[in-house]
Amino acid sequence: METDALALSLTYQFGTNAAFLFLAALGLIVILGMMNIINLAHGELMMMGAYVATITHNQLGLPFPLAVIVSFFAVAVFGAILELLIVRRFYGRELGALVVTWGISLILGQGTLLVFGPFMPAIKIPGGSYSYGGFSYSAYWLILIAISIALIAGLYWLYRYTNYGLQARATMQNAEMAKALGVPTNRVYLLTFSLGAGLAGLSGALLAPTSTIAPFMGQQFVAPAFITVVVGGAANVISGAVGSSVLLSAIKTPIGMAYGAFLGTVALLIASLIIIRIMPDGISAAIQKLMDRRRTRKTK
Amino acid sequence: MKNDNKSDQPAKESTTEEATGIVDPKITRRTFLKGSAAVSAGAMAPMYLAGISKSFAAKSGAVKIGHIEDLSGNLAVYGVQKDHAAQLAVSEINAGLTLKGGPVGSGGLGAMSNHATSAPVMGNGDKDLKVVDDGGKLSASGMAFVEDEDVLVDSGESGILGREVELLNTDGQSNNNIWQQLTKKLIQEDKVDCLVAGFTSAEREAIRPIVDQFKQLYIYTNQYEGGVADSNTFCTGAICEQQVIPVVDYMIQKFGPRVYTIAADYNFGQLTAAWTRAFAPQVGGEIIGEEFVPLSVSDFTTSIAKVQAAKPDWVFTLLVGSNQSNYYPQAAATGLKYPMASTVNMAQGYEHRRFKAPSLNRMYNCVNYIEEVPTARNRAFVKRWYKMFPDDPYIGQMAQNTYFSIHMYAKAARIAGTTDQEEVKRALESGLHIEAPEGTVFMEPSTHHCSHYIRLATADADHNVSFVREWPSIQPWWLQRLGVNLVKHKEYKQYIPDEDPFFKS
Repeated sequence: METDALALSLTYQFGTNAAFLFLAALGLIVILGMMNIINLAHGELMMMGAYVATITHNQLGLPFPLAVIVSFFAVAVFGAILELLIVRRFYGRELGALVVTWGISLILGQGTLLVFGPFMPAIKIPGGSYSYGGFSYSAYWLILIAISIALIAGLYWLYRYTNYGLQARATMQNAEMAKALGVPTNRVYLLTFSLGAGLAGLSGALLAPTSTIAPFMGQQFVAPAFITVVVGGAANVISGAVGSSVLLSAIKTPIGMAYGAFLGTVALLIASLIIIRIMPDGISAAIQKLMDRRRTRKTK
Repeated sequence: MKNDNKSDQPAKESTTEEATGIVDPKITRRTFLKGSAAVSAGAMAPMYLAGISKSFAAKSGAVKIGHIEDLSGNLAVYGVQKDHAAQLAVSEINAGLTLKGGPVGSGGLGAMSNHATSAPVMGNGDKDLKVVDDGGKLSASGMAFVEDEDVLVDSGESGILGREVELLNTDGQSNNNIWQQLTKKLIQEDKVDCLVAGFTSAEREAIRPIVDQFKQLYIYTNQYEGGVADSNTFCTGAICEQQVIPVVDYMIQKFGPRVYTIAADYNFGQLTAAWTRAFAPQVGGEIIGEEFVPLSVSDFTTSIAKVQAAKPDWVFTLLVGSNQSNYYPQAAATGLKYPMASTVNMAQGYEHRRFKAPSLNRMYNCVNYIEEVPTARNRAFVKRWYKMFPDDPYIGQMAQNTYFSIHMYAKAARIAGTTDQEEVKRALESGLHIEAPEGTVFMEPSTHHCSHYIRLATADADHNVSFVREWPSIQPWWLQRLGVNLVKHKEYKQYIPDEDPFFKS
């Protein structure tokens, strides 16, 4: 009974930790993973999503799911404007993009502080809780785990089975060649950046009820987001991010439970170091290699 | 030495003598000190005082108060409040206003006021906690509880010693390196007369060596873990003996002995947890679990499960910064229903206003100030604040500390008759008391820490705040116990609990 409860609690913690890493990384998967832009304003885009959700839900009285969808579109539009005005000038100049997005993040964070003050009233976490054998579980986190899985499926479908997905993959692989073949690469870049921003806004809105709504709240997500995407690698960003959030959570959860949050975080960082050392191109490249090897073995 | 210094000074605050019935205007401070408590100092400022002050104005420019707080970054929620508090205090000083108070000598507060025959009692058992009874009819002995309606009175001059006060307020950006740069700039370039700064203990310890290098008069206004014994530093926030001991004692009595501590992983959290570890066994408690959480952590799923696995009677939460306050909504959503105690939450980051009820249900905190303090003088203060800053969300404990600290500096400079920093430090060591919005605060000379009016505040399921107990004056006794006497022996260090055998278990 006791061990049952502990095992169930560990499974739940594993799920929430993985969902947290995945949601934190969601927008960055597209922007860093596919477009190779080191977007240091990622946290601020998530913050914007959280603010849009908070304002539409608390002040305009929109139901929370609708507020989350509004956040997606609002931040996507903002991302499109950002791409048109600024980011577009920095394609292929990774360090330039790094500095310019850092500047954008400072302006957004401080601007929010000036306009909205140091805090917004929080959104009440939807749903109740369940308990079993001394541990209890938040319904909202269970919903977030389900939404994460749905988002993974949605992204996979978008990039695998739609025309946009094909064009996007072609553009990211070889922009010159894609252009020569008639792909409107400028439009693809715009759409991709806008999608990435929108997804950051979406996850910011989804995580808003679990966190403090403050101008610099985005910073808490930046480090986990970068770790998840970099460990995942660029070979296939979606499977990479899923793989790395699952693996990192599988390391962090038991160690955090046994030795506390501090050592849990340390374990996560050490694990990332080791993974990047062993698989320099990330988990997704390792998965791809494994699958390629199997395929060649089969054809033999 | 100290007394000679005082008797040299003209009786600038002779208003106190008038208020206490002594009318000879030539009376010296020393005779006044023998008299009685200066409960209503500064009530009726005589006109000649303003006249004296004008001669100072001709000689020099503005009195400069340097102020550093975090107006951006993870700690901005506290820094913005403190910045506004400094602005309010300076604007009042320039408008010719001061808080009541004055020197009462090194023995502490006097008691020449109305007294109740018995201590006032809050509530009726566990019911009706918002009502305080009047403690019965007045008598000559007992505990003072009758308070002035308002404590802001005329100072008789605009500014300090006739000079305008200039506030140099800067943004530390929640970054210790920037704190050090700003401190050097304010001391060396701007040559501030007084430095008021510091939220986290890490920030304070980052700038204190610089303060000591230049012998800068420095006021640290934050609630903290205690132990700083520094001749140049005056600490006006509440410390562990004023907050941890009363709340731990109450929680163990009321909810039980099994305590689980979850604390921010830096010097404040570690040392406050050490206090709890040392004190809990003295009152029959037991620490069954402890977790220290890095400031960057914002997902508390695992920490919450660890609390549930330990099954405590109550949880001591010492969480700092906006990331860590996520613990409360997350714990509430997971269905965690343990009573909680803290020394920081609610009073600083107003979690009970920011988070939807019932996240903070059954949270207990011994505070020296909280916006809801139910006294007339506090309501007047809150009204003045929102008149100047109508869009502010809350007035926290630290903001109030900054507010009265700057008024206290102004008083000390008037007593010293100069803004010379060594002279003002001597004046701050003269046994000064000030009527702050929280109640009476006394600057204890030997340790440079303040006695505070401590109230045990709690939030209910709807996040209404009520007060279950109060202690009108708790002394900062720990450094005294270690034999610290900054008036006689200069020191520049922070004592930690390990240096006291009391903490060795």
